[in-house]
Amino acid sequence: MTPVIALSLFGIINLFLGFTFKRQSLQVVTLLFIICSMALTAMDWNHEYLWFGDMMKTNNLSINFSLIIQLAGLLVVAFSNGFGKDEVYTQPAEYYAILLFSLVGALLMVSFQNLIMLFVGLEILSVAMYVLTGSDKRNLRSNEAALKYFLMGSFATGFLLFGIALVYGSTRSLYISGILYNLSHTAPESLPSFLYAGIILMGIGLLFKISAAPFHFWTPDVYEGAPTIFTMFMSTVVKTAGFAAIYHILDVTFGGFQKNWIITVYFITIITLILGNISAAYQQSAKRMLAFSSISHAGYMLLTVCANQPSTSSNILYYSLAYTLATAVSFAVLMVVAEYQTGRTEKPENFDALNGLAKNNPSLAFAFTVALLSLAGIPLTAGFWGKFFVFTDMFNKNLTYPIIIAVLMSAVGIYYYFKGIISVYFNSGEIEKIETSFLFKIALWSACIGTLVLGIYPTLLKSIF
Amino acid sequence: MIESFGYVLAFLVAGTGFMALVLTLARFIRPNRPNDEKLSTYESGEAPVGNANVRFNPRFYLYALLFVLFEIELILLFPWAVVFGDKQLAAASENWKHFALFEMLIFIGILGLGLAYAWVKGYLEWEKPNIQAEDFKSPVPPKAYEKFN
Repeated sequence: MTPVIALSLFGIINLFLGFTFKRQSLQVVTLLFIICSMALTAMDWNHEYLWFGDMMKTNNLSINFSLIIQLAGLLVVAFSNGFGKDEVYTQPAEYYAILLFSLVGALLMVSFQNLIMLFVGLEILSVAMYVLTGSDKRNLRSNEAALKYFLMGSFATGFLLFGIALVYGSTRSLYISGILYNLSHTAPESLPSFLYAGIILMGIGLLFKISAAPFHFWTPDVYEGAPTIFTMFMSTVVKTAGFAAIYHILDVTFGGFQKNWIITVYFITIITLILGNISAAYQQSAKRMLAFSSISHAGYMLLTVCANQPSTSSNILYYSLAYTLATAVSFAVLMVVAEYQTGRTEKPENFDALNGLAKNNPSLAFAFTVALLSLAGIPLTAGFWGKFFVFTDMFNKNLTYPIIIAVLMSAVGIYYYFKGIISVYFNSGEIEKIETSFLFKIALWSACIGTLVLGIYPTLLKSIF
Repeated sequence: MIESFGYVLAFLVAGTGFMALVLTLARFIRPNRPNDEKLSTYESGEAPVGNANVRFNPRFYLYALLFVLFEIELILLFPWAVVFGDKQLAAASENWKHFALFEMLIFIGILGLGLAYAWVKGYLEWEKPNIQAEDFKSPVPPKAYEKFN
């Protein structure tokens, strides 16, 4: 309960600090705020309680998800560099405040016990993301991305709301506990058929947010158009919160109706894997490749949602953490290189712009490589174990065909992730030494070391989850 | 459960029916003598000019935003006031009044902070367009115009 209140207050305070503080000190203050709310989150460990009129629930699972989300926020703020040298057009106080507010939305999405709170959390998160996507006001692509995201996102929210309405109409409750109670006390034959439509519609609304395949068309354009720092935020926080919500809705609440939604979700998972990976292989722009890679990772995480084993929640947690660390690092390196290359090459976000990075910036190149290896799922990185746990879940459920497709597709993944590594190490190019701030270096190295440690000792965190 | 929506249906049917009845009745009773003036769009007594689909000045946008903010505040304040003034609820629990009052104060306080933020940022200033005076020098003296008019 406390982190939600604290983050909202911090956001408001941040807005007003912007009048007096310098941009670098604002960055430090925001970091302190997030660390403070992480500490408040961790203080609830092993306390399970309901709050806000029984509409929210804090337990160890929601605390774990909250911590991962806030860690992603922390990394994004640390990588942001106080929003650069552009003194006139960037408004760091507002950006940081909106980041904090959207973290509130994400925290609501991981701990809801009432479908209305799911909706409110999703909207807080999405509206903040629409604003941040369009925050580069003079960039036409950023404006376009914001409008696209807004139009399609509000449409998807409509699906979610319609689904909630149908579920409410058939189960007479918005509370998860009430829904479960009414479902278990009603004979399956006497349940109205629109309950199943409601489940599927809610699933569609949430699958849109995590960009699963038939609903993924906004992802590459929005990820490419948005400023890279907010793309990083979008691809980590929104995905983690979205998966927490999907797990809660499909597996916890409607796990008993698995036979009604499983075929749809299977189909979506398989298309997500195939489309995400194959399209990523064709991209020239590294940023667009990472957008498609985020689609394909949504597919891997959906596999474990389909399996619905007791270990599913901890597998989603592990995968989200591994994915968050690797994605944040790869976007961060891409961001500083693109900043350096702007004005030097036509397309600063292409793979070609990364050529020869390793020569004068060995640390950036190494971090980028570790992140891409983790995304590709090479052993000794966190991404490998994330995939391993997901495939184990599927195997325990005797689902061989999806595993075959998933393994084939991660082989495709190796191709396009290694394209980045090759251009960093083997292609020739002229990139001078890129200066990065102290906070940037700390965040880069801690995320890198985190990826390696999780890859070498996966049981370290598995014992906690 | 579903039956409660019967009220909504009755409301819709009654509303549509009433409007249809009144308009049909009026059609038979009223005299019908149209002319150009009567058929033109009523625009507060002004003669309408041009298309109604004009572009609004983006300066109104911020005002619209602030308006929506306080509109929502009002929408919430009215039901709150009804519940707050309920004597039964107040008697049921000792802290009820303080709790309800404090909650609303927080809500209005956050909205007030929002207004203060917009104020400090200078969004409440009406930005006047910078109209440049024409530096066209007319060869005709102003006196000549006065005579003509």
